Amino acid sequence: MVALTAAIANLKGGVGKSTTTVMLADGLAYYYGMNVLVIDLDPQANSSQMLLTEQGVQAASDQGKGTHHLLASFMEGKPPSAAPFVMPNAVTLEELRLAEEHDERKGWISSLPAHPQLRLRELSLEEEWYGKSGTPTTLADALAKHFQAAFEPLLPIYDVILLDCPPHLSPLARAGLALADAYITPTIADSVSTWGTKQFSDWVGKFVAPDLPSRNFVLITRFRDTKYARQVASDLREIYLKDRWFGPTIPESIHVLNAMDRPALDSYNTLRGKYAGVTGDVRRLAERFTDFMTQRTGVTWQKVRD
Amino acid sequence: MAESPGLTPVEYIDRFFDELRAEVRANPALAARLVKALGGNVVFDNEAKADVANPYSLAAEGDRARFFSVFGTMKLGDIKKVLKENNLATRVDMTGKNADQLVDMMYTRASRKVQERKSSIY
Repeated sequence: MVALTAAIANLKGGVGKSTTTVMLADGLAYYYGMNVLVIDLDPQANSSQMLLTEQGVQAASDQGKGTHHLLASFMEGKPPSAAPFVMPNAVTLEELRLAEEHDERKGWISSLPAHPQLRLRELSLEEEWYGKSGTPTTLADALAKHFQAAFEPLLPIYDVILLDCPPHLSPLARAGLALADAYITPTIADSVSTWGTKQFSDWVGKFVAPDLPSRNFVLITRFRDTKYARQVASDLREIYLKDRWFGPTIPESIHVLNAMDRPALDSYNTLRGKYAGVTGDVRRLAERFTDFMTQRTGVTWQKVRD
Repeated sequence: MAESPGLTPVEYIDRFFDELRAEVRANPALAARLVKALGGNVVFDNEAKADVANPYSLAAEGDRARFFSVFGTMKLGDIKKVLKENNLATRVDMTGKNADQLVDMMYTRASRKVQERKSSIY
């Protein structure tokens, strides 16, 4: 079996991309026992921070792990290989850790983390590339080719690879989008996010994936239950993106935002402790996304936990 | 104010400070914020510590003895409350640990977060 690669992306910032990435990784690993790899292509490194803590992100970087090191290997003309840059342990849930401790691994999360250095390296690469008459498009294509070869050996190891993409269309972000089998679009039920989602959808549909509707999983996050928000959410489903897959509407949760701030590398939380009032939404997200995966890959999944 | 048109300015001010004093006595968190805003050093009352003491702020001072003098004398339940409300430990992390171990964890984790998050340029 080969992993499904899904890019979590939207041109608009602040729509919950990183939180969605971690929530989905937790949900798929916890409920379906999937082996998940989270690749962070966003120099803000938010999902890496949520999984590994700031200390862990820095420690990973010091150990030569991370997407900025992968980018450096491209710049140095080394053979494409992503495996050496992966942190194999990015689990934050106590249930997954305990299962591992009892030699009955049921679900696991690994991380190819980002680091703020990523943007500096990318800028340096861009300056060098454009100095040799390259263009953003040729750079994005070259990176995509390198990454595809680098990720190839990882595909049989994982069940799903989540690519957390930055909220812009840099060559690195475009390379990430080009690698994806599926596109997860988090958005918020308001007018600016709806418009930003349309821009993103149009751009990806035109330049990356003409068959985007069948490959697109839309998620309305940080939902405030007001009449206006309900109307916008309904319009997204019924009018603006009516041919897409939709996940459950995720309510705004201060508890989850706090819980994403992992206290320390040796800190673990139960699924219920981490997600509290939205635990049911995490389960529905995992269920719905697994249905989407099945439709994309033909592989069916059984739950390992309720 | 409108129902007491006969008060002098001093009486108005007295009433205002009476209200403020009453609120400061009843609300230690507000009291601590006001004292800090005025540049004062907050002395923690035992009963109010859990509501007022900020582990990050105390860890940033780098004075381990003062940190332990504030949190080390708290009841176990209050220590857990501070850890939880400041995102320094989950319930899983706290299971089976005594007060000393929890305060030690609080100091280590708060100091690390401060170190990771404090700007190097100031």
